[in-house]
Amino acid sequence: MRRRVVGAVTGLAGTMFLAGCATNAPQDTWQPKGPNAKIIDDLQKPVFAVAGIIGIIVTVAVIAAVVKFRDKGQPIPHQSHGNPALEITLTIIPALILTVVGVFTFRTVFDLAKTSDTEMIINVTGQQWWWEYDYPVQNEYGITQPIITSGQLVIPAGTKVLLRQTSRDVIHSYWIPALNGKRDAVPGRVHLNRIEADKPGIYAGQCTEFCGLSHANMRMEAVALSKEDFAKWVANQLKPYASPAENTLAKEGETVFMNQCVRCHQVNGMKRADGTPVIAAPDENIVSGAAPNLSHLMSRNTFAGATFDLLNKSCREDVWGAESESFGAKYLSGVSEECLNQTDLRGWLRNAPAMKPMYANPALLTSTGGKYRGMPNLGLTESDIEKLVAYLLTLK
Amino acid sequence: MFSTGSKYFFGITSLGTVSFAIYMLLIGESAIGATALFGLVAATGLLTALVLATRDGAKDEDGVAASTSAPTGSIWPLVAAIGATLLVVGTITSPLVTLFGIVALLAALIEWTVLSWSERASSDAAYNASLRKRLLNPIEFPVLAAAGLGVVIFSFSRITLAVNKSVGATAFIILGSLVLAVGVLFSTRPNLKRSLVSGICVIGAVGIVAAGIAGAGVGVREELVLAKEEGHYMHQECGAEKSEHFDKLPLEGVSATSSVDTHIDLIDGKLVASVQGIAGDQETITIPRSNATNIVFRNMSEGEYRLVASLGSKMVTDGVKEDVVQCTQLIPQGSEQMLTLNIPKPAEAGKPFTLTVPGLVGQSIEVIVP
Repeated sequence: MRRRVVGAVTGLAGTMFLAGCATNAPQDTWQPKGPNAKIIDDLQKPVFAVAGIIGIIVTVAVIAAVVKFRDKGQPIPHQSHGNPALEITLTIIPALILTVVGVFTFRTVFDLAKTSDTEMIINVTGQQWWWEYDYPVQNEYGITQPIITSGQLVIPAGTKVLLRQTSRDVIHSYWIPALNGKRDAVPGRVHLNRIEADKPGIYAGQCTEFCGLSHANMRMEAVALSKEDFAKWVANQLKPYASPAENTLAKEGETVFMNQCVRCHQVNGMKRADGTPVIAAPDENIVSGAAPNLSHLMSRNTFAGATFDLLNKSCREDVWGAESESFGAKYLSGVSEECLNQTDLRGWLRNAPAMKPMYANPALLTSTGGKYRGMPNLGLTESDIEKLVAYLLTLK
Repeated sequence: MFSTGSKYFFGITSLGTVSFAIYMLLIGESAIGATALFGLVAATGLLTALVLATRDGAKDEDGVAASTSAPTGSIWPLVAAIGATLLVVGTITSPLVTLFGIVALLAALIEWTVLSWSERASSDAAYNASLRKRLLNPIEFPVLAAAGLGVVIFSFSRITLAVNKSVGATAFIILGSLVLAVGVLFSTRPNLKRSLVSGICVIGAVGIVAAGIAGAGVGVREELVLAKEEGHYMHQECGAEKSEHFDKLPLEGVSATSSVDTHIDLIDGKLVASVQGIAGDQETITIPRSNATNIVFRNMSEGEYRLVASLGSKMVTDGVKEDVVQCTQLIPQGSEQMLTLNIPKPAEAGKPFTLTVPGLVGQSIEVIVP
């Protein structure tokens, strides 16, 4: 029996230890890739060490006491009132440890709250279950008109970026562990969160405030580009909308988009045949009042709240595994037809709620006045899907 | 082998496992119900193992003789019946009645259960009574004290809402001083008769409650009624000023203080925008579409001004459009007002969105909605 218990405990401890050695862990809190995350890391490592040593001492002491003084039928030992000297010592030592930890923690909190030397502003808005990023006009970065995107936050590396976070529906929390700690996004409030990436690359994150059915699928990725590559990205985002050529499958897809998708999804610059702008109406169909803006969709690598990849497996590995120097060029090449993750994109267009849990059953929307939380099944035909995929591929 | 407790938990675990399997087969593994049932199975499975391991926490001690006398009379069955009735009546009348029903049922459930258990704890009635007190007094006293205080505070609030503002403040000061004085008297004279102390407390409480009932009967003073009708914090009309009782300092409200996105200041005839988190004055502000955004207008110039948000137009009926305009109150120098903007469409839909002050030429802040 004892051998089995020892075996089980050793096995469990070994598994936990080996799990800590995983290399493919993009949300590892122990691998800071920016100054703010390093500030947190500089605090958490010594505190973890101190807490770990104390934890081991306490555990060993408890086990030793349990084993040594276990009930063997001996009489109850003499019950004394206590030992004042020992008790005072055991109070002062933890108090001193906590004071030292507290001083460094306060310093870290104030260091992280510093925003006065911000170099770039991005508004971040959370809703069930995706993140929207809008870039106010900032001429010094070539942003002469607001840019709006979702799923992937694109930033210049080595730049102090201030995220102004809020939410359209419930409380969410923005967390990219490699770049900074987590910060809540609360409806009606603007919370400030500073991030900076040392080098170009992709940094994964996850909503860390339970926000409903698809909370686990509310992901985010920060894409850091060199300043030159970021300028190219900005220039691409500001490119005017180009309608597909006449008599192509993509042009037919544009018509399907205008008939179906535009009820919620905006594509900036799209115009009807009579020249009037096509304005989406997510406020009439969705509880949060917003749906991802799909302008330049294929310049991103993900869709559906960064839940699914727009790139197929080999192309994705090529981008994610790229060295800093070559990363920008690979990311900026966007999603080509050869690299498109056709399976997930077509599956999403075929029946979105089957791929990501959402409140999208029209029969169960009385409490929201018929408004969805997420994307419903649009009942598209295979022909429509074919056309839409061809059209979406033009949104680069 | 199986103790009584473990049989119970084993039964629930088995039932949960069967339900989980049926649910997975008939409804689907992605449903929340499957997750809940799996959680139930895991939790009760753990409890079964614990109860088996500890053998129901049984100790080899001599038992205590149980009471054989009949249970005493109790008010709790009556309270439970009233609670159940209120619960049912509440479903067709008001949620408040339901709430009272739930509270009464919960109170009866706890009191009645503990009472029944304590009366059978031993053959010693005095010991049983002390057992009941030991368990329930730590709950009863704070709950009763909180309820009593709640009644007094609510009654007093009815008085202050009914009378003139300065009279209310004076009454509050006098009452507070009286409570302090009586408290000092009780603490310095510990030998005062218990009946005298109780009498003073009861008379004081009854007096406040009676005055509160009278205040509630009179209703809220006219000034507050008018302020509510005018929109105490938000004034959305842009026509001729009619309001007198609006709140000129909305930032004194905690919720407003903590959620201002942008301040628009009118300083020496110039309109200046400062956005939270962005250094320096701004000529444009960018706010997300379909998102409630609070903007505070501060008039620091001589004269009365209001901020006007022109937010494009909206379709009211087929083919008929109407301008969307929101305004603050006309406020004097040193005052401030808040506007909550929620813009569902980007400016691309029509003309640019702006914040302006009527009477000021060339002063405008553009609102960009991407």
